[in-house]
Amino acid sequence: MTAGEPLIRWDWIGTHLDEIAFRTGEHLELTVIAIVVGLVIASGLTFVGLRVPRLYPPISWFSGILYTIPSLALFSVLVPYTGLTLLTAEIGLVSYTLLILIRNIAAGIHSVPVEVRDAARGMGYTPRQILLRIELPLALGVIFAGIRVATITTIGLVTVTALIGQGGFGYFILLGIQLFFSTPLIIGALGSVALAVIADGALVLMQRTLTPWTRIG
Amino acid sequence: MSFHIDNTPSRVIVYGISLEIPHGETLVLLGRSGSGKTTLLKLINGMLLPTNGEVLIQGRSTAAWDPIRLRRGIGYVIQDAGLFPHFTVAENVALIPTLENWDAARTAARVEEMLQLVGLDPREFARRRPRELSGGQRQRVGVARALAAEPPVMLMDEPFGAVDPIVRERLQNEFLSLQRTQGITVIFVTHDIDEAIKLGDRIAIMRAGKLVQYAPPQELLARPADDFVAQFVGSDRGLKRLALLTVGGVELDPPVDPSRLDGAPVLRPSTNLRDALAAMLSSETQVGLVKDGDRYVGVLTLSTIGKMLRSGTDG
Repeated sequence: MTAGEPLIRWDWIGTHLDEIAFRTGEHLELTVIAIVVGLVIASGLTFVGLRVPRLYPPISWFSGILYTIPSLALFSVLVPYTGLTLLTAEIGLVSYTLLILIRNIAAGIHSVPVEVRDAARGMGYTPRQILLRIELPLALGVIFAGIRVATITTIGLVTVTALIGQGGFGYFILLGIQLFFSTPLIIGALGSVALAVIADGALVLMQRTLTPWTRIG
Repeated sequence: MSFHIDNTPSRVIVYGISLEIPHGETLVLLGRSGSGKTTLLKLINGMLLPTNGEVLIQGRSTAAWDPIRLRRGIGYVIQDAGLFPHFTVAENVALIPTLENWDAARTAARVEEMLQLVGLDPREFARRRPRELSGGQRQRVGVARALAAEPPVMLMDEPFGAVDPIVRERLQNEFLSLQRTQGITVIFVTHDIDEAIKLGDRIAIMRAGKLVQYAPPQELLARPADDFVAQFVGSDRGLKRLALLTVGGVELDPPVDPSRLDGAPVLRPSTNLRDALAAMLSSETQVGLVKDGDRYVGVLTLSTIGKMLRSGTDG
């Protein structure tokens, strides 16, 4: 930081409101794409794993390996192939959601009480009806817990994708570092945290609406 | 009919079972846990298929039935009710009608009818969720759900096992009157001998996957097939038998001048012999006056009851 410079220059914020709004939207977009694509892939893999139990350990293992790769290393490996693109960013972001989502979808389905599944089968539910009308709705609470963790992780991780020309709030953080200028750095960091808190609150509300049976009334 | 796991005869679950269940009767499967009772139930609704032999439902093998069709025609009640926690009481009861695409008005009417049948006020309970109910109420909803599509056959797997004795007795009594008015064939699993005697038209005692004895409760108590059954029905089986007999079914001594029997208990033809015995033993006269309405029909003595007990047994 330059000596004598205030920590936050409010005039800079005032002249950059449009850009802040744009980066917020970008951050949100990167996150939503990652979570939606992650959910689709994770659901597919989990249902394969549940139907063919032999395949679940390798699926879980694979998603675990993906999760342990450092994000910077992953992006530098991908850039020569997919360039400084949204695709590169999303491949990384989606990879990091898979472990949490797969584990929580599987745990959610397993949490359905045996007698409930037994009753459904004994009363003539088809396997498909058991999955869609019994197992999925009852697993929703645990699945949502996974979505919340994955969302918060992803929002933090999106800032890193600024290094490959994407990145939402990460753009401000990078700008601050390059210019030795604290205002955009703080805006980027606070923006990312605020977005995580708001997104988490929105997901809690969404879960309560979708699973009314988990509360009395 | 037999059922093995993985076709290994060493892991036989139920073996050499042959039973015929008359229409409209209640068959109780009685045995300790692990004796194959639940397996037998699952063989009936096709959740399991026999390794050898066959299970015929309405003359047709369960292997030949479409399993979904078969199960939707058989009511299924299990311990802890197995209600769907994310459905309201009304939605739970409406399960089979919904699966069978009944129109909304007919389904709603049936749900209301069923809830009333099991003694739950639809206005109070229809919109609750299972977790807002007591154990006994949940069990009632389970029965209502199984009855909703008027199945000719009901399978009940320890349905009253998880409720306290007072509620259990009330549910048993309600079950009895329901079963009689609805005319359904019921296969009822329990490990409780008293429940079996109370509810069963016939009792099948299972042990380690085999059928040990298949008889009406009276006969089971009077002539246990072997030591295992005798032990299972208990050393008080004589008293249990008395509970199944009524004063009206006994040959009484002719009426005696009532003034000579001062303090003798008054018995009704509908009183069971166990209660009659208790009343007689606690009075000084040791006999009971039997009255049908106001009519004095005769006298019941201890020796008559003793004769009653001896006549049923071989020994």
